[in-house]
Amino acid sequence: MKAALCAGIFVAAILPALSLGGARHFGFIYEAPTSAPGSFELENWVTWARTTNPEHSDQVAFRHEIEIGITDRLQASIYLADWFYENDPAKSGFTYSDSAIELIYNLTNPVIDPIGMSVYQEYRGGDRFFEWESKLIAQKNLGPLILAYNATVEAVWEGKGLTDHEGEFQQAVGASYEMSPRISVGIELLHEFVFPKWRDEEKIRNVFIGPNVAVRHGNWFVTVTALAQATDTPEEADFQLRTIFGFGL
Amino acid sequence: MKMSILFVLACVLASCQLTNYVPPVTPQMATARKGQSVNLAILHEGRTLFAHRCIECHTLPVVWRYSSKDWPDIVDSMSKRASLKPAEREAIIAYIIAVRSAEH
Repeated sequence: MKAALCAGIFVAAILPALSLGGARHFGFIYEAPTSAPGSFELENWVTWARTTNPEHSDQVAFRHEIEIGITDRLQASIYLADWFYENDPAKSGFTYSDSAIELIYNLTNPVIDPIGMSVYQEYRGGDRFFEWESKLIAQKNLGPLILAYNATVEAVWEGKGLTDHEGEFQQAVGASYEMSPRISVGIELLHEFVFPKWRDEEKIRNVFIGPNVAVRHGNWFVTVTALAQATDTPEEADFQLRTIFGFGL
Repeated sequence: MKMSILFVLACVLASCQLTNYVPPVTPQMATARKGQSVNLAILHEGRTLFAHRCIECHTLPVVWRYSSKDWPDIVDSMSKRASLKPAEREAIIAYIIAVRSAEH
């Protein structure tokens, strides 16, 4: 009771200072600028993925994220919950996946400096699941055009005793053109190298490509990206549609 | 065909790059506005804030897209969502108006 009261007083105290952390131009690619200090934003992600090889299945994944601007260069995010609904021949239903914490530190600015750079670190934990993810984010703004690149390394431990492990290296590149201060359109491309048991014996390579559109107004934004698989990897989604809706509290 | 697409793409990128959306602060900017002088440190801060805070939501417009009269209202309308304190908002406006004044 006392803790709830303290939390209520804290929220009431900081609410007048809260504002939007920043609008996303991409659905699957991170951008180098970090949120303004003192900003506080709620983001909700919905990702629908359809797989047809070898069997037909659909999954809708949800994420609820709070993004906080700590300093001019440091941003923290808490993934309150990642959960999903899946529907395939074997099972269907809702499942809680994990929660996570993410930190982004901005090094250089994409307008003033030759390249804007940020580093990203994420720790994710759930039931018999732990993931560690590092990312290098590069961006260049050329007038109304935003070019972004992410290089991501991730390691996953899962299963009973966290004995199953998998690694992945991903490169992502995107371009977004601002048609007006409120609307941007662009394209995103993801190139994944998957390492089951941290080995590269299966040579799993996935490529996804597709368009995006971002709309922002006042204290909210919506970004939608649709990706199709350009490779033919079994058990990988053939089609993904991600929507991110963010608003400053 | 491939070469012409690459050429057009290169021209578009070059034209975007040639425009300086955040011109560096010069001593002339501090005195460019008739009858007023501005602290250079404030102009430097305004430039940094303009380049860092505004791009969190949108790309930067060229400063001469809007008039000196319109800029304060434009910055005001977005200052809360960019978490700008009053002094920071003033620094951005001072920088933009100084750039515009120095151009003419």
